[in-house]
Amino acid sequence: MTDTVQLTAERAEAAAEVSVRDLTVLYRTDQGELPAVAHADIDLPTGTITGLVGESGSGKSTLALSLMNAIPAPGRISSGSIQVNGVGDVTRLEGRALRRVRGRALGYVFQASQNSLNPLKTVGKQLLDLGRAHDVQDMRGLVRRARELADEMGMDGARVLDSYQHELSGGMRQRVGIVLALVLNARVLILDEPTTALDMLSQAAVLEIVRKVHRQEGLTTLVVTHDMGVVSEIADRLAVMYGGRIVEDGPATEVLQRPAHPYTRALIGATARITGDTDTARALPGRPPDLTTVPRTGCVFRERCPLAMDVCAETEPQLLTWAPDRRRACHADPATTAATGEGA
Amino acid sequence: MKGLTRRLLVRLGTGLVMVWVVATFTFFLVHALPGNPGDAQYEQYLTQGMAPETARAKVAVIYGFTSHEPLLQQYTSYMWQLLQGNLGVSISYTGEPVVQVIRAALPWTLFPVLTGLVVSFLVGVTAGVVAAVRRSSRWGGLLSLSGSLVAGVPSFVLALLLAFLFHTLWQILPFGDTSDVTLEPGFNGPYIASVISHAVLPVATYALLSYGGWLLAMKSSVVSVLGDDFILASELRGITPLTRMRYIARNAILPLFTVLALSLGFMFGGSVLIEDIFDYPGLGNLLLKSIGARDYPLMGGAFLLITVAIVLANILAELLYSVIDPRVRR
Repeated sequence: MTDTVQLTAERAEAAAEVSVRDLTVLYRTDQGELPAVAHADIDLPTGTITGLVGESGSGKSTLALSLMNAIPAPGRISSGSIQVNGVGDVTRLEGRALRRVRGRALGYVFQASQNSLNPLKTVGKQLLDLGRAHDVQDMRGLVRRARELADEMGMDGARVLDSYQHELSGGMRQRVGIVLALVLNARVLILDEPTTALDMLSQAAVLEIVRKVHRQEGLTTLVVTHDMGVVSEIADRLAVMYGGRIVEDGPATEVLQRPAHPYTRALIGATARITGDTDTARALPGRPPDLTTVPRTGCVFRERCPLAMDVCAETEPQLLTWAPDRRRACHADPATTAATGEGA
Repeated sequence: MKGLTRRLLVRLGTGLVMVWVVATFTFFLVHALPGNPGDAQYEQYLTQGMAPETARAKVAVIYGFTSHEPLLQQYTSYMWQLLQGNLGVSISYTGEPVVQVIRAALPWTLFPVLTGLVVSFLVGVTAGVVAAVRRSSRWGGLLSLSGSLVAGVPSFVLALLLAFLFHTLWQILPFGDTSDVTLEPGFNGPYIASVISHAVLPVATYALLSYGGWLLAMKSSVVSVLGDDFILASELRGITPLTRMRYIARNAILPLFTVLALSLGFMFGGSVLIEDIFDYPGLGNLLLKSIGARDYPLMGGAFLLITVAIVLANILAELLYSVIDPRVRR
């Protein structure tokens, strides 16, 4: 049993489509340069959907943007590497080479509430701009491919290409975003809060589409979200971020059932169930830290942690493998965190 | 498209109402003036020994009405004349119909004002984009500064400064009138060259006056569009910088179109001072002279024309807007 798990873990390691190593992203503030992401280590195994969760300000969107090497000023990637299969280290790319990778190798889909389309041009015209930017010779083929993708996602492809942004609903915009991210056959799809600001039915539809497209196109997908429901719905793997650190990761079902970090447990505990007593949802006391309030030494979570010990104030826990295919950054005994999980 | 036609008709309707209001206002203004210029004129004719009927008829030709009729009747007769395109007869240009006087002056305002507006819009908007994109560099800062400086100078100061520098001091450019009076007007090289050189100073004044406004407006508009999500989204799709620049410019220029229409009206108003300084025989100059000479028919005509120009400019802006922005097209 343990052996087979070990085996799959190693295979995943070998076949990572994206592997982030020791990534640190600094933002310039009044108090000097502060890390929004610190020493992040994560793999996106080929063909899997990884969920990246955390509260706002945890650095999850920053991590997603750094995969595109698109940290906006005054931020910068200060160290680490991001190896993408077939592309190399994204952090080393710049100018034209970087532009070519964006959209062609890596597809990025914006939050649905954000307007990711030029309001003055039809989707079709923007598709042609995309084709020209990436030197696509066969424009007809590109349009055909976009139409197919749109049809696959349950839209009228021809009509969508003829529409302006204001003529599309939130759910449709989101799907158009996915079409534009995939139309050049990107292998990696990054979705930033794909369901935020959508109504429940559109959320379900978009998740269904993500799952379907992911499978059909054989993608490697990263879903950034604060919604544990989304993660439990579609993710194969789960990574939890807090204060710019990845504090736990592993297979989604295992992490959700047996969280090994007190923060993960709190996140799960704070999610209200659709049926049953809402009192079972327990809010995490305290506020999520921002760049300036993250503790500089020790564990970033210790101020809100029910299990905090003396050592937590002194040494920052490393993200270490504690069970097959599972990692966590916590000084407490894994048994304690899991056991109290049910008691809370 | 149906909605567009309807909105245009509504615009046209309100425009007509505006023109009517101004015409009515002008009519009653002439009446409210102390001593009623019509009566004064009538009495002047009488003292010159003219028969009352002849004097009344002469006044009726000049103003389109005589004050011996009931007010309502005077008003309807004035409006009736107006509908037929008759604005009365100018007093200072003795005997000449107001329409003809205005028609002679109009091109000399239209041509410099429009040229100045187009030049300042193109230059100001382009400079605004550069100032926004390079806003943290020294060149961007200098550009913005140039905009603020020029926008802060009063029109007559600028006009006098230009006239002093280019005419008096360096003697590069002519001054006064629309062309060299010794030349034969018509489609010949020397005349056209003379017209152009005479127009340079007024055009440059109009252009410089509005340049700063365009620059600053475009800069702030571009800065706000730069923060829009779709610009980052297109960057993450690998769209070329040139195409992204076009996305930004087109989105940023939208709010400026309404201002463009309004500023056309303002520039017609501004032409009063500038044409006076350059002694340029356009509409503004005409208006000023007519006020000095108490030439009420001419004044009324000039007011009316400026109103019509502003109304038309607004309709034009509406049309342009719907061409450039799909969201208002329906």
